[in-house]
Amino acid sequence: MGEIVGGVGVPHTPHFPGIVDRQEPLAAELDRLYGTAAQHLRDLAPDVLIFFTCDHYNTFFIESVPIFSVGVAPSACGPSDYRELQAYEVPIDVALARRIQAHVVRSGFDVGISQEFEFDHPVTIPLHFLTPAMDVPIVPVFINGLMPPFPPAWRCRALGATIRQAIEETPDTRRVAAVASGSFSLEIGGPLISAQSHTGVPDPEWTDRIMARLRAGELDELVAEASEEQLTRAGNAAGELLTWIAMLGTIGGRGPAFLEAQRDLGHAYGTWLADSAVHQ
Amino acid sequence: MSIYAVNKICYRVVREPGLRQALGDSPEQALRAALPPLSEDELQALLDGDVGRLSKMGANNFLLHQLGRFRLLGLDLPTYADRIRAAYREA
Repeated sequence: MGEIVGGVGVPHTPHFPGIVDRQEPLAAELDRLYGTAAQHLRDLAPDVLIFFTCDHYNTFFIESVPIFSVGVAPSACGPSDYRELQAYEVPIDVALARRIQAHVVRSGFDVGISQEFEFDHPVTIPLHFLTPAMDVPIVPVFINGLMPPFPPAWRCRALGATIRQAIEETPDTRRVAAVASGSFSLEIGGPLISAQSHTGVPDPEWTDRIMARLRAGELDELVAEASEEQLTRAGNAAGELLTWIAMLGTIGGRGPAFLEAQRDLGHAYGTWLADSAVHQ
Repeated sequence: MSIYAVNKICYRVVREPGLRQALGDSPEQALRAALPPLSEDELQALLDGDVGRLSKMGANNFLLHQLGRFRLLGLDLPTYADRIRAAYREA
């Protein structure tokens, strides 16, 4: 059977690779934080990554906006929304992606398939830091966390747990890790931006609360608090927390091995080992 | 007309360099060619770079900020942000 071995959660700010390349003041901190997550993944030695992401109006906007979808192309390139950034072709484990999609649909989740698409920066930025050789295939799981109405947090957690079931029922012995990509409080271009920028972090106290819940392994409480109203109050990109909740649904809800916030930026970096049993 | 037409323009500018060029060269012509068609209200607000008004008309702010990012319709990101702040300060 497949084995869930752990996971990481990271942000995906598109300016971070440039900041590191130019060795700007934030570079050392980014190196350390992404480096901690990357080392954790190397230690886990996964054969495949379940990658939870929120499309930023790039993959889904015209034809359909799925609440959940799994990417089943052999690979996908990106980032589609920042052509000036380093381009990658990301391999996808098609067989596992299709197995997961079939399992979750038969379990009652209305999860679509995406057969031809590009990745946007929420996928390529984390992988740029975590697996830059693109030598670990992923299964992309798209969660609609930017365009209300959002799926409820409990539903995202349950989806993650059901993905774990699918993996554990696979006949081979693959090691599987989960990745969450997203911020906790972030406004892009809307009325909650700061006085200095076109972005803002409107609810740093929400980041504090999330951090406390994550540290304590209080996933039940976090799920209960992560209402659409709260996510909206924390900014128009704060629904990205749903990727973290789905990731924790996959690996279990206990406390992290590492967790550190960049509070002023509204996000955090965390690493987890998987629980030995699924938390429902 | 639904504000979708405005959102779609903002969506397209991210992936269509030709549209960005056309909006720079001849903005009214480029906007009048858009499908689905923009309402006269939407078209005028876009030509004015009045993102505060467009935001209040219901345009998606995440998409709208792409006009500032790509320096279209007289905007850049600081101008974009100033106009959004002003629109909601007046509210």
